[in-house]
Amino acid sequence: MKLAGEIAAYAAFAAVVGLLSVWPRYELLGEDRALVSLVFSHAGERVGECRRLSQEELNKLPPNMRKPADCPRERYPVRIELRSGSEALYRKTLAPSGIWADGKASVYERIEVPAGAHDLFVGMNDSGGAEEFDFSRSETIDLFPGRNLVIQFDEQTQQFLIR
Amino acid sequence: MIERLHRAGRGVFQGLRRPMARAFDGAENPLNHLGALTVFFLWIVLVSGIWLFIFFRTSVSGAFDSVEYLTHEQWYLGGIMRSLHRYASDAAIVTILLHVLKEFVFNRYRGKRWFTWVTGVPLIWMIFPLGITGYWLVWDELAQYVAISSAELIDRIPIFTDSMAGNFQSDELLSNRFFTLMAFLHLIGLPIFLVFGIWLHVFRLNSPRINPPRRMMAATFLALLVLSAVYPALSHERADLAATPQVLRLDWFYLHVYPLIQAWSPGWVWALLVAISAVIIVLPWTPAQKQEQPAKVTLDYCNGCERCVDDCPFGAVEMVARTDGTSYTHQASVDPDLCVSCGICVGACPTATPFRSQGSLIPGIDLPDRSAAALRADIEALGGRDAEPRVVAFACRDDRQLHEAHKAGIPTVSVNCMAQLSPSFIDFALSRGHADGVLLLGCQDGNCCYRFGANWTEQRLARQRDPMLRKRVEPTKIAVGWLSPWAEHKRVADRYEAFRRSLRQ
Repeated sequence: MKLAGEIAAYAAFAAVVGLLSVWPRYELLGEDRALVSLVFSHAGERVGECRRLSQEELNKLPPNMRKPADCPRERYPVRIELRSGSEALYRKTLAPSGIWADGKASVYERIEVPAGAHDLFVGMNDSGGAEEFDFSRSETIDLFPGRNLVIQFDEQTQQFLIR
Repeated sequence: MIERLHRAGRGVFQGLRRPMARAFDGAENPLNHLGALTVFFLWIVLVSGIWLFIFFRTSVSGAFDSVEYLTHEQWYLGGIMRSLHRYASDAAIVTILLHVLKEFVFNRYRGKRWFTWVTGVPLIWMIFPLGITGYWLVWDELAQYVAISSAELIDRIPIFTDSMAGNFQSDELLSNRFFTLMAFLHLIGLPIFLVFGIWLHVFRLNSPRINPPRRMMAATFLALLVLSAVYPALSHERADLAATPQVLRLDWFYLHVYPLIQAWSPGWVWALLVAISAVIIVLPWTPAQKQEQPAKVTLDYCNGCERCVDDCPFGAVEMVARTDGTSYTHQASVDPDLCVSCGICVGACPTATPFRSQGSLIPGIDLPDRSAAALRADIEALGGRDAEPRVVAFACRDDRQLHEAHKAGIPTVSVNCMAQLSPSFIDFALSRGHADGVLLLGCQDGNCCYRFGANWTEQRLARQRDPMLRKRVEPTKIAVGWLSPWAEHKRVADRYEAFRRSLRQ
């Protein structure tokens, strides 16, 4: 009797371990849904132009700190907008990183959308302008269910990449 | 509030113990070996992991293929090893959870026990990343989900400029170096810290129980082996960063928090994890019942025999050079920071004998708040109160059986721990006519609040450990409540009546 109880106890333990290691199933994304991921870092333009120092100003500086130009470190925030047709999927102004606001602004956003065709537009302003985008791209893409479409910004070509 | 939680939790554990007690004797009950079982499961994980590593390839393309090879082509060994690796890791989480809950509800985390309790928290913080990095290495759809969600969580720590999760958005961005890093963390980095953490966790304990009984090891291993054969662990589809897995078979033991990353946000998940850890860490310092004074050594009666040092479960007593100029070389010394006032040292002391005829009963080591003299006085006061055959019961102060015994009107002496009672007290109760029989209730199922109370008592009664029960005491006059046949009576009153019936025969 004791042995049967022991076997039952260990079997129950193994069953709990086996069951909870795979069940209940977790639905991460609906059957007819897809993802658009906006993932990149980009540094905005500097807020001010570099200014050449006069000889008088240079003389006042210690010899090892005499640089010909004084460039402000602060950068503009980066404004990003992602649209599907007329619907805004993402619209945000991102502050530059760093305590002097001189680093890159980063975006990491995974946006769930219905599967199917989408007229996508992505735009970015990095020079503090009010309306227009400094960089943009439009494309019509058919997203199959479960697709993860990634939008990035290539710093070398200064273009949006859609993968 | 906390005391209410203790009571409710104890109720759940007692409820669980009742059916378990039908299958296991006290010493064989897995609920009494949760910490040791965890260590045993980690051994299984280690051995099976070594086998898996031999065949594992740490690259984006090789990781999945090598695990698939092990699972399907080498199913008879590699597949079984993989399943054992997975299920033993999961089983370790079950035992860790029960271990933490048990120590909490039985109030074994306060006072001097804070160190063991608090050092358990980093162990939990290490064991989860260990399991999570293991899932990462398979590089299937589940690994993809784990990698992205973990990276989102890490990105929330405000020290990185670039997003780590951004690396998992397309196959072209993914580097083999990530697998090398994960393999390093999973195979070397985290296990080293874990072993050190386990050592620290049991550092203050005397004779820590690292291994469960052999029969239990064999039985749990067999259970996991059967599970591995019947329901082997399988991968999801190969990871594809151009797509997102839609439905996952999540391992809830390790990944229970991951859906919250999507449902809430990584920031809130961090807040939750940090808050839970903080609450666990501060628990030992929450207001509790009054702390008793630590054991006190009286040099006039201490002969430096070292028995108290051998029996103390918490390493609170040590032998130091004699300070009173007597011919003995050593004397006992109590570290008040480690002493939990269980009184086991008093039960081990040869001078803690109630038969002493000269002077008052002052043993070499004693508890100021529950002295050997007070125990003797209680036996004298209670003995003979019962109708014949007269039985005196001894119950542990922290166990609910004490309350049950009082409620049933059984003459009961409370002890801090059953091993506080030297066998000479049993002899005293019987030979001086205070009782015809002695019932030792102890803690439920021998699940001692102070680790070794039940073991030491059993060994002293069996004359295997000092101080031994004198030969003149008839074993039939002693009933050990947590052992067969008495343990089969679930109610204290039934156990008491059964014992009295046996004394009449």
